[in-house]
Amino acid sequence: MNDGSLENRKEHEKSQKQSKSSKFRRKSDDFALAIRKVAVAQVCESVGFQSFQHSALETLSDIIVRYIYSIGKTASLNANLAGRAEANVFDVIQGLEELGSGLGFAGSSDVDRCVANSGIVRDIVHYVGHVDDIPFAYDVPRFPVVKEWKGMGSFWEKGEEPLGEHIPSWLPAFPDPETYATRSSAGNEMMSVSNGEKTELARVERKVEQSLLNLQQRFAHNGNEGGSSRDGGDNGRARKASLSNPYLAAPLLFGEKEVEVSPVLLPAKLLNEVALRNHVPENCVVGNHVSLLETFAPAIEAIKSGLCNSDNEQKKVLYNQRPLVHFKIGIGKKSLGMAPDFNSSKKDPGKIASWFGNDNEKDDQKRRAEKILKESRESSQERAQL
Amino acid sequence: MNHNPQSSDGKHDDDSTLSDFLGSLMDYTPTIPDELVEHYLAKSGFQCPDVRLIRLVAVATQKFVAEVASDALQHCKARQAAVVKDKRDKQQKDKRLILTMDDLSKSLREYGVNVKHQEYFADSPSTGMDPASRDE
Repeated sequence: MNDGSLENRKEHEKSQKQSKSSKFRRKSDDFALAIRKVAVAQVCESVGFQSFQHSALETLSDIIVRYIYSIGKTASLNANLAGRAEANVFDVIQGLEELGSGLGFAGSSDVDRCVANSGIVRDIVHYVGHVDDIPFAYDVPRFPVVKEWKGMGSFWEKGEEPLGEHIPSWLPAFPDPETYATRSSAGNEMMSVSNGEKTELARVERKVEQSLLNLQQRFAHNGNEGGSSRDGGDNGRARKASLSNPYLAAPLLFGEKEVEVSPVLLPAKLLNEVALRNHVPENCVVGNHVSLLETFAPAIEAIKSGLCNSDNEQKKVLYNQRPLVHFKIGIGKKSLGMAPDFNSSKKDPGKIASWFGNDNEKDDQKRRAEKILKESRESSQERAQL
Repeated sequence: MNHNPQSSDGKHDDDSTLSDFLGSLMDYTPTIPDELVEHYLAKSGFQCPDVRLIRLVAVATQKFVAEVASDALQHCKARQAAVVKDKRDKQQKDKRLILTMDDLSKSLREYGVNVKHQEYFADSPSTGMDPASRDE
């Protein structure tokens, strides 16, 4: 008998099996699989075998697992029948007797046999006495290893106040607002802005939103006119223009109050925000945008940074360094034929100026603008209720 | 050995035998590691903090494997004895006692485990068959 070669073969097989199993199947008990093959191989070697077929070894190791399973099941069943949760030695011996009843053991025919004196136990004692003590070849750690799960802290752990009484404090806390997108309802994956900018953005957006409501109300009152030539409106818009700077200026200039940005762009931005929430009045947004831009055409040319996507389709403003992303929100009706024209790149103020210098389309635009203003009046009433 | 279960002496003997055996189990290290047995017992719902019981199950399993393997060994040796080609071959085979699926399935049949392999695979019922011969 060549013990050394068998040991090498075992390890070789084991390593082969491990690589194979890791390549083809990822079972949770790969480790146990490998270990039990080594154990079975060791026992077979002690019996007298020198080598095995792979399939035979796997089959035998599978069978001993089923054997252990059935012992465990039977023992726990016996314990439960006796009204216990934990099994004791008698449950195990009874389980062994059931398993061994196929082959029979000494004393199995005795009606009043004692479990403690069972033939099975005697057989095992006999076996233990005779066989050599061969310990397992490898040092087996305790498994399966239970990973410590570090879950999200609860409200109570984090010391945060849960928002609302309906949220118990032992639930996991909400993630920080900075970690998810800006407060707009639509998912803004394109906005990979840093946290600081985002919080300021949120603050500014809130102010812009309020001013937007005021503006829309003013538009409603204005009737057919574009509502652009009122002083009060101008003042308000100038104020709002300064607030909307971050969307128009370069990111580095964030926070500075630049008045040079045309107030015309403010309605575009604000109207864009409105378009976010109500898809229907998008056309009127465009209409307003057109009329306002016409009036402030000379001011537009003074804009340094390009017009931020004055597109009814754009949801949020992009920074200068960000690539242009176009969103297509389905619009039911397009009363304005030039809606697609508003796909502008930010760095083309000249192109935008050329639109507004286009006098041929002005009459058509004005007519369309009137139509759209009527619609905006109706929708602004809805918004005023917001 | 007819022990009267009612007699306290008999009971005492049985119990002591058992407890002695369980104590001796701790000295004996079964080849199947405790952790493996404990893992599978836990999977099956067996709950016991006593390590001696786990040793008992491990020893019982080892005994089972040893019995199956020895039966397979006997089958293997019987097959080698049957094949008498010439002395050289037989000696070579004697050195190589291989646990094959064939021997294993034969020995497991006695334990009620049916491990039968397909002998051969054919793509049609008449593969490899002479038209004149009959199939067995």
